[in-house]
Amino acid sequence: MNKGLKGLESKVLDRSQCAACGACLSLCPYLRSWKGRTVKLHDCDLSEGRCFSFCPRTEVDLDALHRFVFGKGYEDIETGPVRRVVMARALAPEFTRRAQNGGVVSALIALALEESVIQAAVITERDAELLPQGRIVKKREEVLSCAGSSYVTGHTLEALNRGPWEGNERIGVVGLPCQVLAVARMKMSPLEERTPVGRVDLVVGLFCTWALDYRPFAGFLKERFGDNPIRKLDITPPPERLLNVTVGDELHQIPLDEIRAFIRPSCQVCLDMTSELSDISVGTVEGEEGWNTVIVRTERGENLLHRAESKGVLETRAYPEDKWTHLKEASILKKQRGLNVLKDVQEKYVTLPQRVIDAILKEVAS
Amino acid sequence: MSLIAQDAPGKTILLMGNEAIARGALEAGVKVCAAYPGNPSSEIIGSLSSAADALDLHVEWSVNEKVAMEVVAAASFAGLRGLCAMKQNGLNVASDFLLNLNLSGTQGGLVVVVADDPGGISSTNEEDSRIFAKIGDLPLLEPATFQEAKDMTKWAFSLSEDLRLPVMVRSVTRVSHARGNVRLDVLPRPSTKARFDISRPRLAFPPFPSHKALHQKLDRARTLVESSPYNIYRGPNKPELLLLTSGSGWMYSLEAVMNLGVQDRVGLLKLSTTWPLPANLVLKHLKQAETILFVEEVDPFLENNVKELFAQHCMEIGLKRFYGKAAGTIPSAGEISPEIVSLALQGLLKVSYKPRPEEYTKKAHEAAAELVPVRTLGFCAGCPHRATYWAIKRALTLDGREGFVLGDIGCYGLGWGPSGFSQMKTIHAMGSGAGLAAGFGQLERFGLSQPVLAVCGDSTFYHAAMPALVNARYNRSNFVLLLLDNSATAMTGFQPHPGTGRTATGKEAPVLDLRVICESFGAKVQVTDPFDLAATTDAMLKFLQDREGVKVLILKRECALVRSKKQKKLFQVEVDPERCLGEACGCNRLCTRVFKCPGLYWDRTTGKARIDEAICSGCGVCAEICPASAIRKEVA
Repeated sequence: MNKGLKGLESKVLDRSQCAACGACLSLCPYLRSWKGRTVKLHDCDLSEGRCFSFCPRTEVDLDALHRFVFGKGYEDIETGPVRRVVMARALAPEFTRRAQNGGVVSALIALALEESVIQAAVITERDAELLPQGRIVKKREEVLSCAGSSYVTGHTLEALNRGPWEGNERIGVVGLPCQVLAVARMKMSPLEERTPVGRVDLVVGLFCTWALDYRPFAGFLKERFGDNPIRKLDITPPPERLLNVTVGDELHQIPLDEIRAFIRPSCQVCLDMTSELSDISVGTVEGEEGWNTVIVRTERGENLLHRAESKGVLETRAYPEDKWTHLKEASILKKQRGLNVLKDVQEKYVTLPQRVIDAILKEVAS
Repeated sequence: MSLIAQDAPGKTILLMGNEAIARGALEAGVKVCAAYPGNPSSEIIGSLSSAADALDLHVEWSVNEKVAMEVVAAASFAGLRGLCAMKQNGLNVASDFLLNLNLSGTQGGLVVVVADDPGGISSTNEEDSRIFAKIGDLPLLEPATFQEAKDMTKWAFSLSEDLRLPVMVRSVTRVSHARGNVRLDVLPRPSTKARFDISRPRLAFPPFPSHKALHQKLDRARTLVESSPYNIYRGPNKPELLLLTSGSGWMYSLEAVMNLGVQDRVGLLKLSTTWPLPANLVLKHLKQAETILFVEEVDPFLENNVKELFAQHCMEIGLKRFYGKAAGTIPSAGEISPEIVSLALQGLLKVSYKPRPEEYTKKAHEAAAELVPVRTLGFCAGCPHRATYWAIKRALTLDGREGFVLGDIGCYGLGWGPSGFSQMKTIHAMGSGAGLAAGFGQLERFGLSQPVLAVCGDSTFYHAAMPALVNARYNRSNFVLLLLDNSATAMTGFQPHPGTGRTATGKEAPVLDLRVICESFGAKVQVTDPFDLAATTDAMLKFLQDREGVKVLILKRECALVRSKKQKKLFQVEVDPERCLGEACGCNRLCTRVFKCPGLYWDRTTGKARIDEAICSGCGVCAEICPASAIRKEVA
């Protein structure tokens, strides 16, 4: 079994399992991204390579990864390790104005930069065509210009590999669950060299149910709205589930079923809704517009949240029990969906102890 | 002083076959010569251009073979002698004019030299052009030696004037491109004044009477060729086997007969014209033998013509056994050799013949391999086409819609192979890339979702791509034409063309700007330097996304060989072994394993890439592709 580009190609790229995280990019001249796709430019015959080793969709031993990041195995089967969970929102209007929800991610990264917890962060920006891509930011204004979501995955981690870096920055990364998983894979990989992943000191994870494939989705939007610039995309919570598209000053609503076809196939095997391998994870709160769910997982994450609270950057509230139960249910549901899909797949993508798999599936049964 | 313009009657000099043909034309007093370059014919006009000033000739590189023939026909109509030269494919291009010119007839001697390429050594196809002589009812001369190349060309002019018809002279690679001794004759200085006699219009029609008149000319040709001094017979009066041959087959056959020592058993008849046949001569020899072997390149042209003649006269000359291509005695395609003829004779005469031992061949190859570096067929070091195909591969792979490249004739035709990263998917005739693109560009409505690209060289563009582009624009086709402007007709020897500002004789000429031409057609035009890989790839990607109309990307960068003749290296390039990642993850020998410029090599002992100073042309492109910035270029 080839564990280099050939393996990546046959196991991931050719089977549409690429999550477009960007971890394999800017490592070598063989892989490039274009319009949201990871593209192999030339054949590489190495038997082992970083592309395969870093990929969140090759052979992921989740138990070992959790042990590496948290010092304990894949035990917290519902939403990963949780030290604290709160509802939060940014207090400065400049964050909330542009934010998808409560502006917590932007506020936390801006704070971390200002307080020199980190000197740079890799976050995701969207170009005029809504194509997401990684960007290295060092200033508050730069963070603000990247706020918002387009529900499309971009190769964010490419920016981490590409730089430019001065060489001594402590780095923060904001990423989707697949990207957060890739960062952990990179850190743990015995092949890791010449990337700055060792200097990644803060990982902010985003909640994600699924993400869209850029090219067909962009084509769909273009067909609907022509060249008019799209200012914002937003998916309303259940039971409504509509894609709100703000084009100029007009709001258009598209039933979610119309865009489901553009969901990346690789999202179907994802077991992670809440970015479990992060320091701190941020998502929506169902039924509470303008607020974020914040799950603190590590000491680093906890320190940052404390600082944000004490500096008056974030306002936090205790997390309602019913919403927490609901969130855990949703997270478990994503895991069972993924496991059920993986059950029917010949290739092995994820390694988990059987008892853990059984436990997750049992949760489903109950 | 031009080698072929020496005024030294009786002197024997060493000439290439093509130079001998050119000298023959000079000895015939030719005044106008034209061609489009194409191997193995290119040196005919090449050498004539060097004699143009001294002998007051008009010599030109025309944009294509049809135009070349028309230019020469004008001279003929005005009473001057003219010669046009071309390779086999060129005659296909010119044939439309030729097959009308035969009907209108000529005035001054007009000779059409066609150099065929048996085996397709420097061609996209293998083709026997002789059939055109038969279609056109035109005399066809086939010189077999260097002396004949000169003398028969000269004879062709007088034959043409006797018959008032174009006369074809057919050469092949081994006649055109080899060298031998040629004895020179007198160099005349004709002072014929050009005048077109308007009382004798040159019209092909009305076709029926002119076709009939043409056949009468051909009948006269039949008698003229009977007495050709270049028809040669060697052998006994009643041979066991009559070997019938022409052109290049003559030398191969002579050698085989001598090697086997069967001179007293085989009669060798070499014909100087395979169309029309010297019928009486052929019948006379056919009568004397029962077994006939045909030796010729490429198609059974002589063989079939003789068989036709035999069928007409079989009652008089009796039954024969014919061997050759039809019987499988001689291979049906490719070049022939003394070996092939010897094997054929061995079987027919039951003589013992030991082919060269395999061991010897193996040793010879080994010995040669020590002297010649192992290289795949590919672009030169620093060739802009390598950079272009690199960008094409990137653009098409990134685009990801299975876009493809339609090829054309030129060095960039190597794009089908490893040197062009296997990007080129079709190759046919001059200009066919653009023509096919014009067609593919109409297929979206039938479901074609792949982007269409065509490549075309600058010289090829003037030759035959322009009508395709006009067609594409007019019919609203949609594709990207990559115009590879290396400012030379590189593959055939750097002949100038309408974009270079020079004529065949080195005179200044107006430059027909590719950009202006394409823009005047209404194409969207952009110009990039293929050595700027990023800008070139971006430009291609941009055009690939544009689904409206004809887009032309001009990739402007002079041929590396032309450049190296004029100036020193652009860059001094070297590999920093400290930075070179070699086989490590992150590189895995991209420059020597994938990019494969011959200026780079893999040093097994150090596990690093290195620059071959002797070969590197200093283009600096490898510095752009190196992922570790280990290849450094400094302005030389």
